[in-house]
Amino acid sequence: MSQAPALTAPPAPERPLPTPTRESQPYWDGMREGRFLLQYCSSCGKVRHYPRPVCPHCFSMESEFKEAPLGGSLHSWTVCHHPFNFFFKASAPYIVALVDMDAGVRVNAQLHGVPEAGLKIGRRVKLGFEPVNKEVTLPVFVAE
Amino acid sequence: MVHPLRDKAAVSGIGETAYTRGTTKSGLALQLEASLKALDDAGIDPRDVDGVIPYFPGGAIAEDFIANLGLKDLTLSAFIPMGGATCVAAIQMAAMAVTTGVCKHVLISVGRTGYSGSRVSTRLQQFPVFAQAAEFEAPIGMFAPAQLYAQGARRHMELYGTTARQFAEVAVVTRQHAILNGNVVMNKPLTVEDHHASRMISDPFRLFDCSLESDGGAAVIISATDRAKDLRKPLVTIAGTAEGHPDSPASIAQRPDLLEFGLVKSAPRAFAMAGVGPKDIDVAEIYDCFTFTVIRQLEILGFCKTGEGGPFVMDGRIALGGELPINTHGGLLSQGHVVGLNHVIELTRQLRREAGRAQVKDAELGLVTGYGDMGDGSIAILRRAA
Repeated sequence: MSQAPALTAPPAPERPLPTPTRESQPYWDGMREGRFLLQYCSSCGKVRHYPRPVCPHCFSMESEFKEAPLGGSLHSWTVCHHPFNFFFKASAPYIVALVDMDAGVRVNAQLHGVPEAGLKIGRRVKLGFEPVNKEVTLPVFVAE
Repeated sequence: MVHPLRDKAAVSGIGETAYTRGTTKSGLALQLEASLKALDDAGIDPRDVDGVIPYFPGGAIAEDFIANLGLKDLTLSAFIPMGGATCVAAIQMAAMAVTTGVCKHVLISVGRTGYSGSRVSTRLQQFPVFAQAAEFEAPIGMFAPAQLYAQGARRHMELYGTTARQFAEVAVVTRQHAILNGNVVMNKPLTVEDHHASRMISDPFRLFDCSLESDGGAAVIISATDRAKDLRKPLVTIAGTAEGHPDSPASIAQRPDLLEFGLVKSAPRAFAMAGVGPKDIDVAEIYDCFTFTVIRQLEILGFCKTGEGGPFVMDGRIALGGELPINTHGGLLSQGHVVGLNHVIELTRQLRREAGRAQVKDAELGLVTGYGDMGDGSIAILRRAA
């Protein structure tokens, strides 16, 4: 099982990408279409995130994905300096914002266009969409 | 009614390897080396161990202990996949096993090549609980505990005014304690200025807010108190023990309160089992994956109120000679990272009065916590038997 030695430089590090599950596929499909889709219980109507099979409030297994509002307020944040994955080395330091969405769930995503000094609990932000390839679009926050 | 587990099981043996950065030994070899030392400490023939709880993922399975130590009849083998809460949670499981007669002696072991083997962001992928973080957070650049726990620390600072100076105090005191212990990775003094000058990892965590990536092995033996009292070392019983899991256990982001860990649930149960309160504790070994994690656990444990953990750690209160000495061995921040089994070993030494220059005078009762896996929290309260 011999292998020819590599003659070229090692490939650039790749961005880690989500592997959707049967439960989360509609969320990622929505992202790709530029729509923020969340999972709502068909029985009691409560929202849940991240997507999962059973409603923890009424135990119904029936649910539907519906478009949710994009606004939210800052719950907390971190500024990532050390790239634990080499893909992120070029973009560090970057801000990861944890946001209380108006829809009633939280979303963690990078925050673009807001300086670190402007961060404060409760600051309003808006969810946007950042395509990373044909299949995958990731959420990103920008100033509202 | 007295809880049926209270003081019925004991820590009968402790053992650890050298803590280093760099080793040629495997995780398995480190676990076996520490296990043989723990068995020798207890005066137990290796073949009489009948329960094994190896750390997962740690390079060893219970079958390895049969093959290497010649166990004659293994009656319990288990993994407890709770990250940093694993080792102390294993004490609860072992105590249940030895008090019900399922086992005579349960071996809990950790071997880690955290420096010379795979590093933290690689290891985490082996944890089942990280699947959600891998799907929703790794793609946006959040992988490591230093990043995932940083948002909780930042929120505590914003809500309560907790400061980097208070984080530094935990790091500096822990280092002072490490220097008193010969077997540590970090043996040079650390100042507040050193802490503040260290590079930012994930704000608000600087390098010296983070625990070590190190190599080493540790092991403890849990036996029924009735057996342990005839063994080699002074009797240290398990007065109370519990594990707890937070709401939204696999996603910190979705947790109703970022600062409510599993310890919120387990600590009251352990204190009730032991029949004691925070004021009765002479020494505490607090899981210190990050400086802030210590501050918040001190609040949850009831040593101070929520929001007062920062001021609480100042002015020598957590140093040897203070009101509540913590991490008297140097912890994960300065001694070595064996997932907190070194905390159990140190607490046992304190209560045996074997802690040398770091001995807390007249220590009778102490507690040890485990924290990890996105916020699981385990606790054991140990007592020096009269």
